[in-house]
Formats: sequence, C-alpha cells, structure tokens
Amino acid sequence: MEYSALSIVDIQAGLAAKIFSAYELAEAAFAAIEARDPQVHAFLELTPELAFAAANRVDVALAAGESCGILAGVPMAFKDNMNQMGTHTTCASRMLESYVSPFTATCVAKALEAGALPLGKLNMDEFAFGSSTETSAFGRTFNPWDLERVPGGSSGGSAAAVAAGMATVTLGSDTGGSIRQPAAFCGVVGFKPTYGVVSRYGVVAFGSSLDQVGPFGKTVADVAATLDAIAGRDPRDCTSQESATIFSANLEQGVKGLRIGVVPAFMDAEGVDPEIISATKGALANLEQLGAQIVEVELPNAAAAMAAYYVIGPCEAFSNLSRFDSVRYGYREGGARDLGEQYEQSRAHGFGPEAVRRIMLGSYLLSSGVYETYYYPAQQVRTLITSDYVRAFEQVDAIITPVSPRTAFKFGEIADPTSMYLSDMFTISINIAGNGGLSLPVGPGEKTGLPVGVQIIGPQFKDQNILRVASALESCYSIARLAPLGTGPVGTSSARPPEQTQPHEGGAL
Amino acid sequence: MYLSEKDVRAIATYARIGLDDTQVTTMTIDLNNIIESLKPITAYDLTDVEPTFHPIAGLSNVMREDRVQPGLTHAAALANAPEQQSGSFRIPPILGGGDA
Repeated sequence: MEYSALSIVDIQAGLAAKIFSAYELAEAAFAAIEARDPQVHAFLELTPELAFAAANRVDVALAAGESCGILAGVPMAFKDNMNQMGTHTTCASRMLESYVSPFTATCVAKALEAGALPLGKLNMDEFAFGSSTETSAFGRTFNPWDLERVPGGSSGGSAAAVAAGMATVTLGSDTGGSIRQPAAFCGVVGFKPTYGVVSRYGVVAFGSSLDQVGPFGKTVADVAATLDAIAGRDPRDCTSQESATIFSANLEQGVKGLRIGVVPAFMDAEGVDPEIISATKGALANLEQLGAQIVEVELPNAAAAMAAYYVIGPCEAFSNLSRFDSVRYGYREGGARDLGEQYEQSRAHGFGPEAVRRIMLGSYLLSSGVYETYYYPAQQVRTLITSDYVRAFEQVDAIITPVSPRTAFKFGEIADPTSMYLSDMFTISINIAGNGGLSLPVGPGEKTGLPVGVQIIGPQFKDQNILRVASALESCYSIARLAPLGTGPVGTSSARPPEQTQPHEGGAL
Repeated sequence: MYLSEKDVRAIATYARIGLDDTQVTTMTIDLNNIIESLKPITAYDLTDVEPTFHPIAGLSNVMREDRVQPGLTHAAALANAPEQQSGSFRIPPILGGGDA
C-alpha cells in the first residue's frame, strides 16, 4: 500500500491489523516530504521529533489494547498561523520569523489529543493576506499539479501538502476563501465550517468576525473525521459553539429528496471561465441524477460582498495587527532614536507589501468621517447578505456554486491587487454571512486540464448537510486526488529522533 | 481620487508604519484603486438596516468567572522579546532624542 494514497480509514484499518505501525507512517511521511517538498515548498518547518514521539505514543497505546483517538497515527500538518508549543509560528512573515510559540492553539491541541502525528508547519500568504501564497516572506509554494502555477491561498501550503501526498490531512484557515480556493486549485477537499464550529484560540487573527479554521483532505470522509476531532466549544474562544454533531455520521445518506440551490447570477457572472461553469453544471446534473431537486435561488446582495469584505477585513486586520509593536515579540529594526520611530521602522520592515496595504486601508477606513461612509454601511450590507442566505435556505438544503472563477494561474500572472481580490468572488459572501462552505474537486477542467472545484454551501450550523451532499457528489467522480508528483517513488527518510524504540514490528508500507 | 500623498502619509503615521517617498507614491495609487472598488457599499439605501458586526446572532458580552487561571511564566512571556533587561521588556526612550 502506498503511504500517500492512504485515507484515515485506511490508516485505522492498517494500524488495527498491524500491517504497519504509526512509527512507520511517520517514516513514510518524512520520506515523501524529503522526496517532494524541495519541488513543492509546502512546509516552513518540519517537526520530526514531535511526530515520532506522537507515533510512539500511538503504537504503545495500540500494543496495550487501549482505545485511540480519531486521528491516531494520521500524519498531519498545520498552517503556520497556528501556534504549536515549541514550533515557530511565523505567519510566513518576517515580522514573526524568530517567534517560538509558548502555547498551543486549541485546534492543534485537539488534533494532537486525537492522536495525529504533527509533521510540521505549512506555508501561507503572509498573515493570510492573499490568494496565491506568493506573498509568503519565505518563498512561494508550488502547485503540485503544475509547478509553474500557484497553489492558491492563503492556505496554499495546506492544500499542496495533501495534493502532493505528503500529509494525510492538514488544517488551514479561511477568512474570505483561504481554504476553499487553494483546495480547488490543488484538487483536494477543503472545508470551512460555520463560524463558531472550531475554536480560533491560538490562531493568529486576521479578520476576527470572518476567520474560521477547517480541514483539508483527499476525501470528504477524511475532512469530516478531522472536523470531528477539532470542533466544539472552547472557553478560550467565546465565539466557539457547543456541538453535538458528529460530522462523519451521515455521509452515506445520499441526496434523494434534498433541494439543491443554484444561483443564476453566479452562473452568468462576468469573468468566469466556461470550463468552471461547465464543471459546476456537471455537478448539478450529477446531483439531480442522484435524486436531488435543483431549485433556483437568488442572492441579490452577494454582488456587494466583495466590497463589504474589503472594508470589514482590512479594518479588523488593522486592529489585530496593531499588536505587532516590536516590544514583546516580533521583528525589531535596530537604531531607532525613540519608541515611535522603532514602531514605524519595525513595522515597515517586518511586514510585507500586502500586509502594509491592508493595514493602511483599515487605518483609513476606520478614520473619522470615513467610518460613516464605508465601515458602518459595510456592516449594514452584511445584514442584507446574511438575510439573502437565510431566505435562500428556507427554500433549499444546500447551494452549489463555483469556488473560483478559474483554475490555478501562473506565478506573477495576477499582479494587480484588486484583480487578485476577484479570485475570491464566489467564496467571500459566505464568510460575511458566517455559513459553512466546502470545496470538492470535480475536475479536471475541459480547457486547462487542471483541478476544478465546486463549492457546497449550507445553512449556519448545518455543516453535516454540506458533508452529506459532498459525499454523495464525490461518489460520481473517479478523479485523482493526488497530483502525479504525489504518486512518485520516494526514498528512505533520514529524519529520525534520537534513541527511537519501535514498539512492534510492522510490515511493508 | 480619494486620497492624496499627504493623506497617505497621515494614515501611515496613524498606522505606525514608516513609508519612504517611493512607497507613498505606490501606496497612494493602490489605495485609490481599492477604494474605487468599494463603491457598491455607498450605492445602497441603508435606512433602517441594522448592522451585523459578527455572524453569530444574539451573542454578546460572553463573561467568565473572575478567577485566577494558570498563564505564561515570567520567563516564557519574555522569551520572544527582541530585547530585555532585568526581567522586563527593553524599549528605546519614549520621548525621543536622548541616549538609550
């Protein structure tokens, strides 16, 4: 069995049958990373000592016949805006280049408690500002399907690590599409659940009323199982909600009798590639074939979501990024004559151009007089957008839209910031309203041959509806989830912790 | 044009970001383009529309019991400081000009 092709269910079965050990899974994961990451650059830091220690704990528990968590032995990696004690958490920014986390984010802690093997930290757009992972201060990530193209962003490393078969599942964060768009570009499943499903404690904040953490995986079942491990109320994040939902429970229920919404204005939107529309129509036809009823719904105010987002997001980012003061942590430019100059020089040199742009925009939009023209009205428009979704979900159980107007673009192809912002045109309104959205691969595209995703949106806190529809739709496609690069041969990893013991002998992986 | 270079310098001061002249010029162009794209917000009649500041309806002022909880140790809190002295964060003079 090939490591890269393994799902969580495969790993659980393989461990139970002693076909392989968790230790061997960790070895296989680092071998895959050593073989492929020099080309992909999904990882900013590797943590083999933590992964092997976790693997040993899993193997010991299994040998003793103890029950293990949902993610026992699952090789996993985290976006680099997630604190994990003792690791660097850089947000792909020079500002945090030397920052070492003194604590662990709740989503990471829960994954580790569930038995995941932490492989390392993943590349991203700096502070999650971007849609291509090109703004990382530590080098771009390459799309495993075509190394001349971007993996999407901001969670580009999280998507690429799964598509290249280096990690079984990963976590990302999504403020305007940062899980769903890279998932679509890299041909994997990415799920941003409803705002409040997963705690954001310990995840470096970008837009506090928009940010949500979610999983990437090769299959809908992997994503659902990962969400089961990380969801739930956390007293340290007051927006996180109690959840009695078992996300992986209803995946086999099918869509017979469900009403699936399609938004005609989205299907006719300007600037969307025909291959994207064609793939979305194909998904709708498949759902109809499976017994769902397709219903047209209107989201009349969604057209203003982009503008509302580029008011609300930068204002919240401006506020959140004010903590980077070069005093308690973060980059410090030397030689300043006084504290004011130190702030200005450290922030000017610690933040990259897109971060500076968003901070400047937020600073302007929150200033007196401008607040009344843009910020407050944007929050009123948010009410209208949210009401659109509430009304639509009175008529349907889920809505299908494209994820991105096009497939993965080439490096440098979109240089103008406002054009780059358009790549999130179908994902942004969901963050504004707070609903969940999942990106499911339905490609390859007719024209480009690159991965295409469709977005499945559900009512707030009905994330199990989304997974149910995604699972049914997934069964209609027999497309590769691993990029060709992710199926190639790998050597033996040199990554080893000192003085390892192997609790039991496993077979060949 | 919404913003002049003078405006951009003032915003940079407020945001505590030191921009050089070239950056001010580029930033002025970028911000004006972005602000132009925000126009749809100003086209709405929003009379009687309440704002939504976050997506979870009915959530406000979540309080916890006022009890001492474990936190970072002194050493852990200082560990990431760019400069420290005698167990404190070290900064340059606040009022400027003098020798640190």
